[in-house]
Amino acid sequence: MIRDLTCIVCPKACKLKVEYSEKGIERIQGVLCKKGQDYVREEIYNPTRVLTSSVRVMDGDLKLVSVKTNRPIPKDLLMKVMDVLYKTKVKAPIKIGDILIKNILGSGIDIVATKNIKGNG
Amino acid sequence: MEERYDIVVIGGGVIGCSIARELSKYQVKILLLEKESDVTLGTSGKNSGVVHSGLYPKPGSLKARLNVEGNRLFPKFCEELDVPFRKIGTLVVAKNKDEVKELKRLKKIGDTNGVPGIEIISQHELKKMEPNIKGVASLYSPTGGITSPYTLTIALAENALLNGVKISLNNEVKGIRRENGRLLVKTEKGEFKTGWVINSAGLFADRIAQMVGISDYRIYPCRGEYHILDKRTMGLINRMVYPVPPKEGGGKGIHLTPTISGNILIGPSAAYIRDREDTKTTKRIMKRLFQEAKEFLPKLTENDFIHNYSGNRAKLIGPKVSGFSDFVIEESPKIPYFINLIGIESPGLTCAPAIAKMVVNIIKEKEGLRRNRDFNPKRHGIKRFSDLSLDEKERLIKENPNFGEIICRCEEVTRQEIISAIKNPLGVVTLSGIKYRTRAGMGRCQGGYCLPKIVGILEEFGISEREITLKGKGSSLFYGRMRE
Amino acid sequence: MREVDIIIIGGGPAGLSAAISCKREGIDNLLLIEREDRLGGILNQCIHSGFGLEIFKEDLTGPEYAKRYITEVERLHIPFMLKGNVLDISQDKEVVVVSPKGLFKLRAKAIILSMGCRERARGAIGIPGTRPAGIYTAGQAQNLMNIRNYMVGKRVVILGSGDIGLIMARRLTLEGARVLAVVEILPYCSGLPRNRVQCLEDFKIPLLLNHTIVDIKGDKRLKSVTISKVGKRGGIVPRQKREIPCDTLLLSCGLIPENELSRKAGVILDPETSGPIVNEELETNIPGIYACGNVLQVHDLVDWVTLEGEKVGKSAASYVKGGKRNYQWIDARAGSGIRYIIPHRISTERDVEVTLRVSRPGKDKDILVKDRNRLIKKVFFGKVNPSQMIKLRLNKKELRGTKALWVSLR
Repeated sequence: MIRDLTCIVCPKACKLKVEYSEKGIERIQGVLCKKGQDYVREEIYNPTRVLTSSVRVMDGDLKLVSVKTNRPIPKDLLMKVMDVLYKTKVKAPIKIGDILIKNILGSGIDIVATKNIKGNG
Repeated sequence: MEERYDIVVIGGGVIGCSIARELSKYQVKILLLEKESDVTLGTSGKNSGVVHSGLYPKPGSLKARLNVEGNRLFPKFCEELDVPFRKIGTLVVAKNKDEVKELKRLKKIGDTNGVPGIEIISQHELKKMEPNIKGVASLYSPTGGITSPYTLTIALAENALLNGVKISLNNEVKGIRRENGRLLVKTEKGEFKTGWVINSAGLFADRIAQMVGISDYRIYPCRGEYHILDKRTMGLINRMVYPVPPKEGGGKGIHLTPTISGNILIGPSAAYIRDREDTKTTKRIMKRLFQEAKEFLPKLTENDFIHNYSGNRAKLIGPKVSGFSDFVIEESPKIPYFINLIGIESPGLTCAPAIAKMVVNIIKEKEGLRRNRDFNPKRHGIKRFSDLSLDEKERLIKENPNFGEIICRCEEVTRQEIISAIKNPLGVVTLSGIKYRTRAGMGRCQGGYCLPKIVGILEEFGISEREITLKGKGSSLFYGRMRE
Repeated sequence: MREVDIIIIGGGPAGLSAAISCKREGIDNLLLIEREDRLGGILNQCIHSGFGLEIFKEDLTGPEYAKRYITEVERLHIPFMLKGNVLDISQDKEVVVVSPKGLFKLRAKAIILSMGCRERARGAIGIPGTRPAGIYTAGQAQNLMNIRNYMVGKRVVILGSGDIGLIMARRLTLEGARVLAVVEILPYCSGLPRNRVQCLEDFKIPLLLNHTIVDIKGDKRLKSVTISKVGKRGGIVPRQKREIPCDTLLLSCGLIPENELSRKAGVILDPETSGPIVNEELETNIPGIYACGNVLQVHDLVDWVTLEGEKVGKSAASYVKGGKRNYQWIDARAGSGIRYIIPHRISTERDVEVTLRVSRPGKDKDILVKDRNRLIKKVFFGKVNPSQMIKLRLNKKELRGTKALWVSLR
């Protein structure tokens, strides 16, 4: 299989052509450093992203608290996690780093708050 | 539901509102109908805001007479209504020797029309008056003025309301018929029996007339596009600067107008269009406006542009016909008690106070009107924080902390002004309504900063996400909440 | 009139770090003025990650990044005013500010401008068409969604490939909207490669380069935009038009430093950056008035904004304490291929870091730093991109004797 990738490890943003199979990467065309090789492997076999979004807060000084996954999650889980976040409601007050959802979808990854929310009495 | 009125005024533009307010000086029951979510959303809100001195209309015409009279009435009209007005003077600038002849022709028209104080000035004098303007000579008319056309229209409606006029928005007229010597106006919300109908529907006046079988008129919409410049250009010109009128098209040519708020307007263009409500802007004309304005004002740069818009003129002559057409202001010879105001294009704004008096006189000729002793000519607008001195600002914030919170920083509009606009007498709760009443969002960032804040204030007033609209039904800003 | 040593206008990342830096330099009589009801500026609505990679070596979200500095401001007891709007600054550094608590006239020994920037609006770009609801700047939409919990649209087109536009393309997609296209007039993406990959490619959102919007339709709510290919000379290519039905248009067409207050104080601006002309202390033409962050130049990374704030804090503190001022400034100028260089004036007496941006993308380029014909420095770049700020350190040895500095791209 062949895939075109842009390496995003540094601002150089090297454009790469990657030939690979289920067994491993066979050939990479384009300038590439050590970090870049790691990125390519990850991106081909286990692409992950940090997901950031918002969760509805009740009784807070804002209606939403911004959140993120505490670690990068597999890319194909993004929309499934979003489905959970759409429905989740939490109560103020909230502090940065508070775990709002533990082990989301059994992934071992937590949803944590990235903003302080005061209660509005 | 059927309600009875003495007079139904159709159209919430500057003409309809002026007439309604003038009529409220008498003991008559008046209804003003407007199809949009607010008054002033048609041509009255989208023009140059110029109070003409009377250089252009053909001598002896209705336009000429009402223009000069309207100009004379304007200062008091605005003062009563707490609407800004400044007599800054008009310059018609000749770019070359050939055009000087045209200046002389215009002067003659102006003199005949009774415009006071016009003179032709030399290049040297022009330079002294307007150092940034290029030209070889100029006609100077000191009585030309500027106002805020949308503020005026809103003020007229508010004052009319205060004096007993019923104003019904979002209420389009669907049909009119005669019944037992009275007129019956059918609208989207009901039926209204009335003695008189005043057709001041602007771009749609011909269609309203057709509803009672008057098919003598046809409106040809003619679009005019504008650019608005950043306030940092304030002072580049101090008076209105017009070119010599172009031979074709019948317009006055693309001109420069200092606005009452300190911007400069470039425009309008003139292009006949099919759809009367199509107020789009086009790349071609945007470029042309810039080029033509730059001929007069070489210092102009495209970086100064903050907004563009267009408004449509209700013309009675079509694209291929040249010549002059006058306003039609009369009780229809075919349908008694039906007063037509058709083809009210420029200088319609200037003429508004005079037209209102003329319409009242038409009615008076037929029936006695008794004075409304309770009539209050005064209307107070929303207090504008940015107009005040520092001491006054300080005092005001102490009295009311809402004046200390700037919501629109480009136009320096405070929270209190937004609140006052939300609570406006006409009950209009739209973003465009707030904008027209406070200028929030009219500055250089065009609402980039204040729109979310205004939405926040609307929320505090209990307006739900579906009810927050730009300009009424169908123009919702949002598709609900992101999270319920 | 209250006397303050240093007034900092704007409590975003630039102002926060400037205030902390002033305080650490021993200035106690400070005032940080912020117009919102919390510190942090635009970071509060930037809930995505990607902040702090340079300074903290961590991938933080905007609010988390801001919080680190807000905590420090609080810990150092730096006085700040919320909901404060500066109405006026005079040449002799009198500041008029209003808040719901009143109108205050202050006199400062030094002022730090850190007001940030605003987004270019439709009128400034001159997009033709009608004016319905559903047209937002990307940052406006970001605020309405992330702070105020409103869904701005369902079928969205984004004009401009700036970073905020790309970030919003992902946000809208995650929140259930369909982003139909990102339309960019230039032949390259204006945003960072990282954002292009993670915000567009991840979600298969088409990026249409060399395209622009030529018409907007819809009377009440947006109905469609018409896009067209743009030819080599910037003209519209006829017969390459396509109407895209949509209900929402986001504009991500560049940021403009917000210098209206600076103008009032008589600060002279660089037409290329729209920010003040500054010397290597980041001082404007008005002695004692400094600028940092996006009010000076639009940055690519917030980390650089923070570092610029830190630098300005030191300069302003030194000014207040009567530090050395009698430098001989020489001009630093952008030559061919370079859009701008900051600072505009350098002393040659100290090491200096200059930041610059190239005019267009390129491969295998040298950036040349010259004093007329003498080559001072040559730096090779495998790739250059206008979306990226380039920083160069020049040491005083290299600069000695320089009369005028020219930076160009080869």
